[in-house]
Amino acid sequence: MTQLYRPTPGTLVEDLDTPCLVLDMDALDHNMDVMATYYEGRTSKLRPHGKNHKTPALAHRQMRLGGTIGGVCSAKVSEAEVMVHGGIPSVFITSEIREPLKIERLCTLAQQAEMLVACDNSDNARDLSRAASAQGVTVGVVIELETGLRRCGVQDAAQGVELAKAVQSMPGLAFRGIMSHQVIPAMPEREDRVTEGRRVIQGVIDLKDAIEAAGIPVEIVSTGETWSYDVAGEIPGVTEIQGGSYLVMETGYGYMTDFHYAGKVLTTVISAPRPGVAVGDAGQKTVATLRGMPEVEGRPGVTVESMDPDHVVFRVGEGVSLNVGDQVTLIPSQQDATVSRWDRFVGVRNGRVEAVWDIQARGCHN
Amino acid sequence: MERPVFQPPGTPVEELDTPALVVDLDVMEQNIRTLQAAFDGSKAGVRPFVTPHQCPQIAHVQANALGGGDARTTGIAVTSVGEAEVFAQAGFSSILVASQLVTRSKIARLCALAASNRISVAVDSSSNVASLSEAATAAGATLGVLVELEAGLGRCGVMPGGAAVELAREIMGSSGLEFQGVMAIPPVEAATEADLRQQLQPALDTRELLEREGLSGTVSVAGTHNYNVAAAVEGITEVQAGSYPLMDFKYCQLRPEFRPAAKVLASVISHPIDTSAVLDAGHKATGPDRGMAVLEGVPGAAANRFSAEHGVVDLEESAITQLRPGDKAWLVPNDLALCINQYDYIRAVRNGRLEGYWPIAARGRFT
Repeated sequence: MTQLYRPTPGTLVEDLDTPCLVLDMDALDHNMDVMATYYEGRTSKLRPHGKNHKTPALAHRQMRLGGTIGGVCSAKVSEAEVMVHGGIPSVFITSEIREPLKIERLCTLAQQAEMLVACDNSDNARDLSRAASAQGVTVGVVIELETGLRRCGVQDAAQGVELAKAVQSMPGLAFRGIMSHQVIPAMPEREDRVTEGRRVIQGVIDLKDAIEAAGIPVEIVSTGETWSYDVAGEIPGVTEIQGGSYLVMETGYGYMTDFHYAGKVLTTVISAPRPGVAVGDAGQKTVATLRGMPEVEGRPGVTVESMDPDHVVFRVGEGVSLNVGDQVTLIPSQQDATVSRWDRFVGVRNGRVEAVWDIQARGCHN
Repeated sequence: MERPVFQPPGTPVEELDTPALVVDLDVMEQNIRTLQAAFDGSKAGVRPFVTPHQCPQIAHVQANALGGGDARTTGIAVTSVGEAEVFAQAGFSSILVASQLVTRSKIARLCALAASNRISVAVDSSSNVASLSEAATAAGATLGVLVELEAGLGRCGVMPGGAAVELAREIMGSSGLEFQGVMAIPPVEAATEADLRQQLQPALDTRELLEREGLSGTVSVAGTHNYNVAAAVEGITEVQAGSYPLMDFKYCQLRPEFRPAAKVLASVISHPIDTSAVLDAGHKATGPDRGMAVLEGVPGAAANRFSAEHGVVDLEESAITQLRPGDKAWLVPNDLALCINQYDYIRAVRNGRLEGYWPIAARGRFT
């Protein structure tokens, strides 16, 4: 590989070459502290989602600060590999894994760490069982319940109970519990978060009760995420919360004011060709825009007009100065889709580079 | 990095681990021939713009095809100095950075590349000309410089006409710089042939003004959407075409003579109810910011909802019995550059079998 840009610690932020994905270390530590403080005294714990930062160093930092279950979530098998190889002792893959090749990789990881995987179908459970038995490992199975996302999952408690029974009887598998993932419409008030969070999570508690009524213990009840961390965490029976977005944050989660924006993209003005227009060197390859254009930090009168894959076009208000060479800070609307386009985070504090972390699981789609 | 399981050449495409970015080489080569044919006998050359695919192996196929006929290549075009470094290492020696470089470190790297390559760069301001000149002089290098003209994109570029001539004069008077001509990137949009010609006219008019001043040079224009028009217009010297080898869904609507060669192969991981199936490819595996990927080849099935890691396919009528767990599905990316940006390897496939993994070597070279 040819070398990628990697600034030396101590470099001044204004000297960073751009575009550059920076993490404001004060905000990052603050966000981790909020979660650690909230979960330290509770029976429910955070299982941070690794799909958001894709970086074992940050997973270790999350675990060190406290409030976590002592493991992470991953979305993909290859992402889980990076976490296990990076020393994370317990990984929960929150997607269904169907392909034989991936199931083999998952079982191999179970030789090295505690592995849990989501499941919504008994054929899939049989495939997992066969591979785990052949490798002589145990894979933990967590049944996914559909609670309004209209994606994966068993559709109701009856299906869930039936699948739990099936899983329990299969060699190589350990039925560990249940999970569900939920979304909430944009920008809710706190009251809506509480009402909606309790409503959607009730289905998960009902499934837990139904499975236990069938005589099968449910050890893990994994649900909730950043928007519901303080709702799900209060519901008796919930054991783990899958939070990830809180760490880097994004304007899409701006309503979660407990957390601060840590992830930002620096860009340099490369052209100021006409009055009211400036062009920066960060495009959509570096900032995800599906949920809206990024916000400009600390430059009143400057907004993002549009982006293409390699450029950002700024609208510059009258009387506002923005010149070729000026650095502009963007706050993305969507953090995980932004992070997944980068190979490294540059951690900055007090105007200088403090740490550089490789985003090791960037590109781990498999 | 992507962490694929490297499967052996000859593996049937439907057995590839997913999500996988697959390029059908036959389709790609046909696309390359289609473009090339328009330049046979044209005075304009092709300067492949490699930023959309970031893959040196594809660039070599483009260059070799152009070198083998009556058409000719004038080098390649890139967007960042990091991309220029990767392609220089891959053997390309005439490289145009078709964007403005303004930071001190980028300009220093550009000058270093210019020591053993023919390097040129686009400018649109006097201050940028001054900093390039200062760095090139200090490094003992010569940088080719093209004046970028605003051609309707609303992005970079000086207005065609007098302002461009003035900037050209400044370049002529700057040590370490060689004025090479003008560059224009018109917007990609549906247009009649007359409109496409009209898009190019300001660049030609500016060239005339420059020639009256005794300043002759290249007229370099983009791209795939107007390639045949640009090839036929007297006065255009090179066309920076980038999308044509691989194409994407959006571009194929404008230019149906090309076909999509790059697609994402996904697997069904769940079919929880009759009317919906879930794919293992979401935003991160498709790059959807300029439009969602389009599911191909299953009548009654449409990929209507994507989230970060998943795609949800709505199924109607006969489709409800299809796309069972473990089945494969093809997604055509809406924007090639944003999709390529998510991967490190192209799975190169011919006649349904794997030929190899082609590194997307310049991926992530944003600086």
